[in-house]
Amino acid sequence: MSRLLQAFAEGLLNPILVPAHALALCGLGLFIGQQASRAPAVLSFTAGLAGGLTAIALAVGPTPSRIVLLADAALIAGLVASAWAPSRPAGWLFAAIAGAAIALDSPPQAPTIAQGNATLVGTGVGASALLLLVSACAALATRRWQQLGLRIVGSWIAASAILVLAVMLR
Amino acid sequence: MLRLFCSGAMFLLLIMPVPALAHEGSGTGGFIGGFSHPLLGPDHIVAMVAVGLWGAFLGAPAIWTLPIVFPLVMAGGGVLGIIGFGLPGAEIGIAVSAIALGLMVALAARPPIFVAALLVGAFAVFHGHAHGAELPPGSDAVAYSAGFVIATGLLHLTGISFGLLARWPAGRIAVRLAGIVIAVVGAAFLSKAV
Repeated sequence: MSRLLQAFAEGLLNPILVPAHALALCGLGLFIGQQASRAPAVLSFTAGLAGGLTAIALAVGPTPSRIVLLADAALIAGLVASAWAPSRPAGWLFAAIAGAAIALDSPPQAPTIAQGNATLVGTGVGASALLLLVSACAALATRRWQQLGLRIVGSWIAASAILVLAVMLR
Repeated sequence: MLRLFCSGAMFLLLIMPVPALAHEGSGTGGFIGGFSHPLLGPDHIVAMVAVGLWGAFLGAPAIWTLPIVFPLVMAGGGVLGIIGFGLPGAEIGIAVSAIALGLMVALAARPPIFVAALLVGAFAVFHGHAHGAELPPGSDAVAYSAGFVIATGLLHLTGISFGLLARWPAGRIAVRLAGIVIAVVGAAFLSKAV
């Protein structure tokens, strides 16, 4: 039981400890937090995440998920920086892609299937919690200067994601 | 007063040991390595502060447009550096950016926002190229990139904070003097880079 809990905790911390995941979740959280309708985007993310975790549990092979995730993060953070809202379905699609990519980029390193599944569940919970936290904070930014601050942070996230993509693709 | 200030700045520059290439690279990866990279290049520091100063001097929307444009275009320059694209005169471009941006502040230049953004964006390519080209091999690229982007942003915020003094007459003079100092520092780097 304690090993399962430990595996769960490892998964829980995974989105925070993997910088690419944290970067993408922060960008997406800022994006969702600034939308008028937040629930559909969060649900899309959760659906993508669940789909990706299921695929990992079914032992899907290696995917270019890290590259897709960073490209998605650069796009989403770029939208935050430019304060340009795409059509709502496009926003949902970006959220779903981020969820799926984070899941597919989180294959567990566990000795047993049970521990692996516990890690995957932890990853799902951790990623969702971080996204909700950031989006809730971003939603509280209602003053003009706060929203400008979010745009500046969005530009930092987009720039970081673009640079890392270049490193990975060179 | 102005002459005295400039003379003092020149004297400080003359006695300050300045490396031929300001971007020496921290040699370490990770967040700390990336964060310290812009802070180890005095020419980079003055140019970044100048971006914030000029943005604050110009007021809205430049005060937030320039710090948003800069990192995004800088990333483009960083990509060029990472893929090994040779950008001739990158160090000269960085020094010229300090001179030009410092002069913009010193002269209280108020071009249209798109001209200011274009100018800042053009210089951002040189700064980004220097960062990208000096990315330590094997370093944690995400943490390193986030570190130097955040450090760059904080330098902008430093400039903006100081630039907000321009709301008062005495502060306006101080900001313009800071622009002169930045331009002089840039000129010193240019003389070493050429």
